Amino acid sequence: MAEMMTEDKGQKQTKKVRLSSTVILFIFLLVMSVSFAFLSKDFYSIYNITSMLTNIAFSGIVAGTLTLVMIMGGLDISIGGNIAFTSCLIAYIYNLENALPIVAIIIIGLLLGTAIGAFNGFIITRLNLNPIITTLGTMAITRGMGYVLTKSRSILILDNVIGFIGGVLLSRGEIAKFPFPLVLFIIIYASLAITMSKSKFGRKIYCIGANQEAAKLSGINVNKVKFIVYLICGIAASLSGIILTGQTAVGMPQHGRGMELDVITAVLLGGTSLYGGKGNILGTLAGVLILGVLYNGFTMIGFRYVHIRVFQGVILILVVSLYEVREKKTY
Amino acid sequence: MTDFDISAKKEKSENLLSKLSEIFVYGKSMVPALLVLLVILVVYFGAMTPNFLTYTNFKAIISNIPVIAIMAVGMTFVLLVGGLDISVGSILGFTAVNVALFHHMGFPAWAVVLVCLAIGTLFGSFNGVIITKVGVNPVITTLGTMALARGMASWFALDIESLKLGRIFDQKFLLISRLYFPQDKQIIPITFVYVIAIYVIVSLILKYTKYGRNVYAVGSNEYAARLAGIDTTRIKFSSYIISGIMAALAGVVLVAQLSLGRDDAGTGSELQVITAVVLGGVSLSGGKGDLLGVIIAVLILGVIRNGMVHLEEVVGLSYYWREVAKGAILILAISIDSARLMAIKKRQVVRQ
Repeated sequence: MAEMMTEDKGQKQTKKVRLSSTVILFIFLLVMSVSFAFLSKDFYSIYNITSMLTNIAFSGIVAGTLTLVMIMGGLDISIGGNIAFTSCLIAYIYNLENALPIVAIIIIGLLLGTAIGAFNGFIITRLNLNPIITTLGTMAITRGMGYVLTKSRSILILDNVIGFIGGVLLSRGEIAKFPFPLVLFIIIYASLAITMSKSKFGRKIYCIGANQEAAKLSGINVNKVKFIVYLICGIAASLSGIILTGQTAVGMPQHGRGMELDVITAVLLGGTSLYGGKGNILGTLAGVLILGVLYNGFTMIGFRYVHIRVFQGVILILVVSLYEVREKKTY
Repeated sequence: MTDFDISAKKEKSENLLSKLSEIFVYGKSMVPALLVLLVILVVYFGAMTPNFLTYTNFKAIISNIPVIAIMAVGMTFVLLVGGLDISVGSILGFTAVNVALFHHMGFPAWAVVLVCLAIGTLFGSFNGVIITKVGVNPVITTLGTMALARGMASWFALDIESLKLGRIFDQKFLLISRLYFPQDKQIIPITFVYVIAIYVIVSLILKYTKYGRNVYAVGSNEYAARLAGIDTTRIKFSSYIISGIMAALAGVVLVAQLSLGRDDAGTGSELQVITAVVLGGVSLSGGKGDLLGVIIAVLILGVIRNGMVHLEEVVGLSYYWREVAKGAILILAISIDSARLMAIKKRQVVRQ
């Protein structure tokens, strides 16, 4: 009984530390948004906010599911390739002669993501291979398939349903007043946050990330949980692929190139550890928002993309170094 | 009589089988398996296409691999100590821009090369400091450096008109990659000599010097290495510096090859390099692998890249299948390696 008590206490303590870093992130976000509002008149226009949030939603969905993978101590670099392949496949099928109904095409896109996730999960759990290298291979395969399918061209896909999913009003060529990706984004983050903090499945993911051997010995079916998490990440990536296809109205193999690194940056900013066992969805939410506001705000002030890229690198190293220093202090 | 013959043959084939399995399954390195794969690929492409097995094409393959090959040396060091460096592609890009920039300012060729090597050292030490002194995960650190270096490359190239083109006409500088031995017959390109020299020297360093042994020791068990009195921080630090220098060197070679120094040079090359090194049998967890495997893996990837183009001409197979083939080969290679390790472990258990 006494042992249980001390264990409980320990958990509470770590939770306190984690919560406070998330709070700091949100304060940082707030300060950033307010200063951008002072520096640029257009930052707080409704149009800018919705377009910024729609952009954030697209990469944020993947960042959310990638958080689960990283808490589990894994990594998935194949998301960018997955997005490209999904986008190319749906555009390719859409332009076939005897076209399928649009709903069927979307389902095929999601099934493709499921298959890619299952492939990753199978190789990583059954063959027990390093997730970084495995998904590096999957990335080359999926992006390559995108190139094969489209012969490196972009395929036009002008469809109202796909456009709606991307949050764009095709008839007027502008961003919808209440964009669908944002709705998806909110639903997915809410359910992920509840899963990770309240459900048994979420606890299992933390447990595996903290100590895989211990998790196995305590009766958790480690391989099954891992497989499911990679599966979820694959589905989310293909969903992002469909959203991006809707936003741009083309399917092309260059979609989502280099995006895996941006998404990983957002997750790391949120305080998730690459070693696993640590992190939370709210932190990732803050990380995603900070990166989104950073890009949007600096662009509004008049900085070029390349300058912001430098800031992104500096902020990543700085914040993670701070985490490291904090960690050392708490011990 | 016939019975005896058959049994002798059987014995012979069994002997052969066990010998083969001794080499391929229980052998220490991936080198024999990689060599077989390389030969199969060369024979396949040679049989399928008319122009693959020609001397001109051989030269094309050879002149295509140096950039990846040189970066792979640095990456091998980093992987051997158990780290990872994703910033090499960006360091290459930053170097490429600086070559153009310093040319624009009128520096002579040798000074440009020195500046580039200094840049590589600088980025390498930056990575090294953050990873070893602050203690941040190498993947995260080099992810940051990657964004930083690429951003700075584009930044430098932004406002200078001549940099937007990035063309370099200085013959002396271009000779860095365009010299041939002998010059009139153009038989051996100098880049090939660089690769051979670097691989031989670094292989010898890794195998026979104290420093090389220390690199392996740190990678296989850092804690034990520290207890044995090795300065693990210094060894790790040095591996990132080597990786930075090699990336800068690859940048110089690439710019001289293309006579073009642009900020997007080497985009995505970090993944190619990691693929080559891992395919070459260097373990991601450190302490295992050698440069012989790496150079064969670089050759395999080069042959696939080149062979697919020839195959497209003949069979009509889309050139873009090469990406798919690369990914599939990577996954296959690590699966085989993992299966091999398991087989070795099993045999050790049985013997005990």
